[in-house]
Amino acid sequence: MIPVWMFLLLLVGATGFAWGSPANGNDREQGSILNLPADPISFQPGPGNDLASRYCLMCHSAEYVYTQPPHPREHWIEIVNKMNASFGCPISDEDMTPLVDYLVTQNSLQPSPSAQHVQRDDLKETPGQSSTQSGDPQKGKTLYGRHCVTCHGPDGKGDGPIGQALVPPAANLTLLGKQSDQTILDTLRNGRPGTAMPAWKNDLNALELNHLLSFLRTLSP
Amino acid sequence: MNEREPGIDRRQLLKGSLALGMASLLTPRVLRANDSSTVTLPFERGRRPLVAFPQKRPLMVMTTRPPQLETPFHIFNEDIFTPNDAFFVRWHLANIPREIDINTFRLTIRGRVKQSLTLGLHELQTQFEQVEIAAVCQCAGNSRGFFQPRVPGGQWGNGAMGNANWKGVRLRDLLQRAGIERDAVQVRFDGLDQPVAQATPDFRKSMSLPDALQAEMLVAHSMNGEALPLLNGFPLRLVVPGWYATYWVKMLNDIEVLNQADQNFWTSQAYRLPANPCHCVDPGDALTDTVPIGKMPVRSFITSLENGGTIPGGERCTIKGIAFDQGHGIDRVLFSVDGGQQWQSARLGKDFGDFSFRPWEAQFIPKPGHTYALQSLAINRIGESQRFGARWNPSGYLRNVVESVKIHAS
Repeated sequence: MIPVWMFLLLLVGATGFAWGSPANGNDREQGSILNLPADPISFQPGPGNDLASRYCLMCHSAEYVYTQPPHPREHWIEIVNKMNASFGCPISDEDMTPLVDYLVTQNSLQPSPSAQHVQRDDLKETPGQSSTQSGDPQKGKTLYGRHCVTCHGPDGKGDGPIGQALVPPAANLTLLGKQSDQTILDTLRNGRPGTAMPAWKNDLNALELNHLLSFLRTLSP
Repeated sequence: MNEREPGIDRRQLLKGSLALGMASLLTPRVLRANDSSTVTLPFERGRRPLVAFPQKRPLMVMTTRPPQLETPFHIFNEDIFTPNDAFFVRWHLANIPREIDINTFRLTIRGRVKQSLTLGLHELQTQFEQVEIAAVCQCAGNSRGFFQPRVPGGQWGNGAMGNANWKGVRLRDLLQRAGIERDAVQVRFDGLDQPVAQATPDFRKSMSLPDALQAEMLVAHSMNGEALPLLNGFPLRLVVPGWYATYWVKMLNDIEVLNQADQNFWTSQAYRLPANPCHCVDPGDALTDTVPIGKMPVRSFITSLENGGTIPGGERCTIKGIAFDQGHGIDRVLFSVDGGQQWQSARLGKDFGDFSFRPWEAQFIPKPGHTYALQSLAINRIGESQRFGARWNPSGYLRNVVESVKIHAS
C-alpha cells in the first residue's frame, strides 16, 4: 500500500501539473518553483551516441536533433561547428567527425521517440524494488566510465572536463552518502531539471541503473 | 480526473513534496504518440506531443529543454487575444531561474546614464505611468519548418506567435528618469536566464537608442490582465511592438545604455538577415553582408479551416482569419478560393490597435464535389503586401508568403 500523501502526489503529477490557470487571479504561484519536465527522449543507440549524449545534452534535449529535417552532412558539420565555436560546447577535435557521423545516421533512422519511450518503459522497475544490493559495482564502474565520467570525473568529484564548464557544475557524487537509493535512482532515471543532468531511463535499463547505483555507493567515504 | 482535491492546498503539497525530494513525480505527463495528444505539422519530422508545462495548457513540444512550445493553430480561431496559458514559449538557454522572489527582484537601468536606477516591481507599478498596448509577439523563426529547401534551426509551424494586451511602463520613461548621456547610441537588454555551459554567450539583445525611445516600447508586468506566466518572462518582459520576439527579452532585469555598437554574440552574429532589400538569397548561396533582424513583414492566415479539411457544399461558408504587420495597421485583406486567380475583399473585424491581430472574414458558396485552394492576402496602410513567392534565407526568417489552405466541398 502506498501512503495517502504519495497517492495525492501521483495524482497531481498525473493531471499534468497545470497549476496557475488564468482563473486563479494574480496572487497565484508566480513566485513558486518552476518545475520543468525532464527530457522525454534520449539519443538512439548507435556508434557515437555517447558523444551526442555527452555534448548535445549539456544544453538541450535530444528533441532538438529529432525534430530537424534530414540534413545533409554539410549542414550537420555547420551545426556542430557552430555549437563548438559560437556556443562554447567543448567538443574535442577527435570527437568532431564521429559526432557528425552519428548525427547524419539519425537522418535515416526515422526514429520514433515516443515509441522508444514506451518500449523502454517496459524495462523500468516499479519504485521500491531496486536497491544497492541488487547491483554489481564492477559493472557499474564500466557504465560510469562510458556515460558519467566526462562530467563527474574519474573519482566522482564533479571535476570531469565538461562538468567543470557547466553552470551549475556537475554534482560531486562523493557527497551522495545521505541520499536514499530511491532518490538517487530517481535522479538517474529522470535527470535533474535546471541542470545538464539528463534522464537516463531510455538508455539504461533497471538492472544497469542498479549497477550504477552500487558503484556510486563505493564513491562515498 | 479532478485537478483539485477538495480541502487540500496544492501549494502545500508541492512544497512538501519538494522537501521530500519527490520532484520527479510532479513533472508533466508525457502524452503518448498516436493518440489525440499529438499534433503533426505538415512537414517531415513534424510530429509534436502535446504536454502541459507549468501554467500552460497542453502545447506542442518542439524541445523540452530549453522549453520551446508551439501554440496549436486552432487557438488563433478561438480568440483574437491568445490566452496566456496557450501562448508560445521559446527560451534559448536552459538555465532558467526556477524561483523568482518578487520582493527582492530588481530591474536596473545603468551604463551611459546620469543616474543608475534600481527599481522593484512596486516602484515600477506606482511611480510611472501605466500603459497598455495590444501587440503581436512572433518568433523570428515562426514557420521555419515550411522553408524549402529546409534549413537548420527550431522547426516551427505557424504557431510561434501570439497576440496579447501588454501592460507596463514605457521604456523611454525609465530611460529619461535615469537621464541618457550624450554619447549613448544603443540600449542592451538582459534577462535572468543563464547559459548552461560557461562558454555560451549570455542571451542579451540590443537596439538603437532612437528605437528604444519609441513610445510603444514597454517594460511589461502584465499580459492579458494578469501577471506574465513564468515561461513567458515573469515578472517583467520587454515588449517591442512590431518587432520580432527575439527582442522581447524575458525575465528582464538589466537595461544598459551603451556608447558603442553592441558586440555581444546575440546581436552582432545571431539573428542576422541577408543585407539586401528582399533579405533573401538563393539556396546554397553564401551570406556576405548581413543586418540584424528587426520588424515583421505583413502576414495573414485563414484560421477557421485546416489544410485538407472538408466543408459542406452548396451552402454559404464563412471563412475567418487574422492579419497583422509591424504597426502600420492592416488596410485590406483580399480572399481567393481559386489559388489566387481571382480575389474578393474580406471584411475587416474590430480594430484593437495597429500592432494587434486584425480579425477578418469572407464568405463563399462552395460547389459540392469541388476542391478549393483558399488564400488570403493582407495589405498594410503603407501599401506593403504579402509575397506571392516564398523568400529563402539560410536561417529561415521573415516568412510572409501568401499561404494556401486546400479544402474539399462534400
